[in-house]
Amino acid sequence: MSLYPQSQAYGQMQNPPMGYPQPVAPPGNYHYPPPPPAQPYHVDPHTFRRDYTAQLAELTVNSRPIIQNLSMIAQDHTHYADVVTQCIEAHIRRVPPWMKLPAFYLLDAISKNVYDPYARHFSTVVVRLFIDTYEQVDPSTRSKMIEMLTTWRNGAPSGKELFGVITQLAIERHIWPDDASRNVAVSSSPKGPRRRINRRQRRRQSSSRSPPGSSGISAPQVLSELEIVLNQKERAFQLNPYDKVAQNQIAILHQLRKLVVQGVSQEELGQILHQMRTTLSQPQSVPPPAAIPPPSAPMPPPHYGRPPFPPGSSNHLSAAAPQVSYPPAFSQQVYQQPKPEQVAVPDVANVSTVPPPPPVENIASIFSALVKAGLVTGSSSSTPTGAGATAREPANRPVNSAETATETDKQYRKAILSAQVKLNSADIIRQRTVLPQFLYDQLPGQCKHCGIRFSDSSIGKQKMQDHMDMHFRQNRKAGQATGRGHSRGWFISVEDWTNDSEVDIKGKGRAGAPRSMKAAAAADAAKVDAELRALYVVVPPGDEAKRLSCPICNERLEPEFMEDDEEWVWKNAVNKDDKIFHATCHAEAALSKTALAVRLRSEVSSRSRSRTPEARRTPPKYDSPSPSRGVKRKAEDDESKTSQPSEQSERTPPMKKVAISPTE
Amino acid sequence: MAYERASDSGQRRSQEWTLAAETEYRFELDAGTSLAIKLLRGRAEIFGSELVEGKIYLFYEECKAAVFTWQGCTIEISQPSTEYISEETPMSAYANLHVAFEGMRVRALLDAQVTAHPEKATREDLEENRDGPHDAPRVLILGPENSGKTTITKILVNYATRAGQDWCPMLVNVDPGEGASMLPGTLLAAPISTPLQTSTPAHTLGSAATSAPSHISSNALLPLGYWYGHAETKRNPLLMDRLIRNLGGNIWDRWDTDLRGRASGLIVDTPSSFSTSSAANNEHRHNLIKACVDAFRINVILVVGHEKLNVEMQRMYGSRVTVVKIPKSGGVVELDSLYRARVHKYQMHSYMYGERVNPPLGLPSLADASPLTGYIIGGEQSTDLTLAPLSSVINFDDLSIWRIGEETMAPTSALPIGAARVVSEMQPLHIDPSLPGSGLYNAVLAILAPPHPDEVERYDEEILDLTVTGFVVVTALDIPNKRLTILSPNQGSLSGRTAILGSFEWQE
Ligand SMILES: [Zn+2]
Ligand SMILES: [Zn+2]
Repeated sequence: MSLYPQSQAYGQMQNPPMGYPQPVAPPGNYHYPPPPPAQPYHVDPHTFRRDYTAQLAELTVNSRPIIQNLSMIAQDHTHYADVVTQCIEAHIRRVPPWMKLPAFYLLDAISKNVYDPYARHFSTVVVRLFIDTYEQVDPSTRSKMIEMLTTWRNGAPSGKELFGVITQLAIERHIWPDDASRNVAVSSSPKGPRRRINRRQRRRQSSSRSPPGSSGISAPQVLSELEIVLNQKERAFQLNPYDKVAQNQIAILHQLRKLVVQGVSQEELGQILHQMRTTLSQPQSVPPPAAIPPPSAPMPPPHYGRPPFPPGSSNHLSAAAPQVSYPPAFSQQVYQQPKPEQVAVPDVANVSTVPPPPPVENIASIFSALVKAGLVTGSSSSTPTGAGATAREPANRPVNSAETATETDKQYRKAILSAQVKLNSADIIRQRTVLPQFLYDQLPGQCKHCGIRFSDSSIGKQKMQDHMDMHFRQNRKAGQATGRGHSRGWFISVEDWTNDSEVDIKGKGRAGAPRSMKAAAAADAAKVDAELRALYVVVPPGDEAKRLSCPICNERLEPEFMEDDEEWVWKNAVNKDDKIFHATCHAEAALSKTALAVRLRSEVSSRSRSRTPEARRTPPKYDSPSPSRGVKRKAEDDESKTSQPSEQSERTPPMKKVAISPTE
Repeated sequence: MAYERASDSGQRRSQEWTLAAETEYRFELDAGTSLAIKLLRGRAEIFGSELVEGKIYLFYEECKAAVFTWQGCTIEISQPSTEYISEETPMSAYANLHVAFEGMRVRALLDAQVTAHPEKATREDLEENRDGPHDAPRVLILGPENSGKTTITKILVNYATRAGQDWCPMLVNVDPGEGASMLPGTLLAAPISTPLQTSTPAHTLGSAATSAPSHISSNALLPLGYWYGHAETKRNPLLMDRLIRNLGGNIWDRWDTDLRGRASGLIVDTPSSFSTSSAANNEHRHNLIKACVDAFRINVILVVGHEKLNVEMQRMYGSRVTVVKIPKSGGVVELDSLYRARVHKYQMHSYMYGERVNPPLGLPSLADASPLTGYIIGGEQSTDLTLAPLSSVINFDDLSIWRIGEETMAPTSALPIGAARVVSEMQPLHIDPSLPGSGLYNAVLAILAPPHPDEVERYDEEILDLTVTGFVVVTALDIPNKRLTILSPNQGSLSGRTAILGSFEWQE
């Protein structure tokens, strides 16, 4: 029995059964149940090794929950990184070839997410392990391993090789003995972190050089890397739905993929690959390695009953920071099935109401270069549209799940109604046994962390996956936040509360910025978008049939007839220097020219975009005062100040008034 | 025998209980003790929230709860102060209620969907929805003291969140003595999407959001609350009435755009004074029940184990509301006023300082615990759930402090005869901290949302209709220098804020 081990000390594990007393022989003919599976919570290295090995043994298929669970345990036990590394290596070597890949995914996840110390530990074994495994597995597993390998090229938090350049080269040399393309990835990185400053220069270099690897690049190779980057971006976007940059990048990546599928020349292929590797694939903000303090240094608990002096930095700033710093590394979606069908549009409400994203400088330049070259048709919507859609065009998941959801709703409705419970005092006390079936049996997937259950339908599985992601994120946040101190937030305002109807509908927990802010940001963005789209330019008489396209996105501007004014207009349009632009495109371009880079670096960018002076300078009707601005200003403030006038808080900084402190 | 019990002979530190189907293990803790429970086999739930096999759940602060199993289970426990197994539970009736409410929810959802998108509705949908309109369950729970209203509220809310239908039932608490996810003295509403956890009476109905990461959204609730300021409804029934109606209005505003939320319905937990008739309070209790029925558009009244009340409700509301008498749990413990006072203290401390719990003797400390099995504290896996409030000194005029109606701040003896009762119950009275007897020392103040930014929109009694932003405590009063020492939950500035005093005091 494991709940109360008799020994708590380390080093007594020469005799592990000690902690699990033999059951006393039960009197009479009671059936005494066998002892539960040994799961001590108090771990020494031996026990930990045994338990971890036991849990690893469950990793027989590519199960995301198991991988996440195992990597969370690894995250929590960085002091046993050597044990974890040994266990995983031993596991990979021991299991049959078809079981090896999932464990590699685990290795990958741990190394990327808990870079320090795991990447270091694995780097000592990964070359041999990878190559040996690669030799044993079938072709399809090999291609998955290669996909993984390509993500290692920039899998470190700095954007460099996950296991170091030497390790990466050693593996790649073995896999592609003569491939020029690997030089691209490796040669561009060892000079330190890739920073924005270097990009212009690098771009110049790359354009003057002949595209690297143009001799040996295959479309499938480019496609598979595209998928990987796309997955990372979509994941990042899912975590931070107001990350317009990510949204835009996703749109571009879709375009690029479409191009590659349609067929491009070797030279273009090389260009795309190179651009993607040097720019697109980098995380937007590079997080510091996960700071996981050793367990031997717990935070001293505050005095109960006496106000402890809070840590110097503001808790709330960090609490309110959006999650842009989440690295795109946990790319297990890649593991699932790197097919476009899986690359679904993030399931985030109101995505369609978010205005088109302003592009990042470098992406924009790639994109506009492609536009100029006639390679790409631009699109102002976040999902690629237009000609060239192929059979592989991803089905829109929201539509899909909505349909299936209706079906699921219907099945559940039928089942519930067939129970025929009547709401009266007599029928309520009738004995029935219907409930367990609804609460347990029909929801077989249970989260092993919090007990919440999910159905085994595809929607249920998706929900469970989202749910596991939530735990993972929260664990990660907990690991990073230790020592900073937390506090109770202010309650949200009535405006935010009544407008915040999507609190947690998926049981995701509140991750990052409170929903109210997100709701406000979405409303804000939607409002700006609506304002822009309401702008119009009157079509000069006689020009109704003229073909006109927006110089930025190349899409046609279709004249519409305005009933009220009885004239033809181009909607969502502005006239600048006698050129007609989409108002949305123009605002976006204006934004990207000004303070975009600054705002992107500031973590609150996605929430404050519409309120920066630069943003309000652009199109004429843009900065018309809006009655709801007051509400939004509140949403912008950090959680602790959600509903207080910001002028006042600026006038009297709270810290000035702190008088009592236990440290004095 | 319904259960087996085996304990480690010689070492009375842990026991194993095997529970038969539809029985429950009940326990009560003394002050300063904690309890660990681990589900070894089978399935078990605490007030409708399922336990995970192998995890160690901690309970503390005089928690009184029950582990129930639908199909049988084996649990392992450290030693509580009081424990027993009960084979008689009302769970089957509560389960039936839940299934009946689910029936209302699925129909309400279909109805809402068909109404919102008639173009998408199939002929079958329309046929099925023919006998509409269908309403979501909006349930008022009535019952005398110690009838387990809050427990029933919790179970029904939790089952709804577990249906796998993304329900988000609105939990409404109009018992000012309860506190729910805020503090006693508030009336509040909070949408719930994951099961409410049980570990301490400080968080019987969930916990409000902190800056810490949280694995269970019911520990990071975003409630909307109004400050009533007292534990007893009879202190100011008129104010209660107004706040209940405010709360209802906001819920309906919110549901305007939230079909699934609206279809999930609401469950209202009420104070026992709503159900205890006496000559003195009969009028106001009927008014308050009516305020609830109106504001929340109640369509089901559950009367817990009280025939007379059942008859009364049938007579008054039977024509428009389904009144159902439901059995009371035998496990409900009589709670005395001293216990309630201690729970208030736990709630206030937990609001400011977070959770502090030590595992029972003989178990590893939180810091030594392994996440492999780990401790679960109120559903959270973190070993550090403490919070850091801020103590700061502010000037008297930084905060505008009020009290609502009733007695003035001066003791009656200090007032001219008859002066104590001249103010109306709803009149906001400004408090001058520099006057002796202001009642501010050690008082809990509710910080309110700012008044309307537009002067034109303001009105005399606006302060009554402002929601609560947070709570602070006046820990010192320096009249010569006109300063207050304030304990507040976070570092947000209090400058220029409006606060209301109630009758709750901070207890160390
Ligand atoms: Zn979970
Ligand atoms: Zn355009």
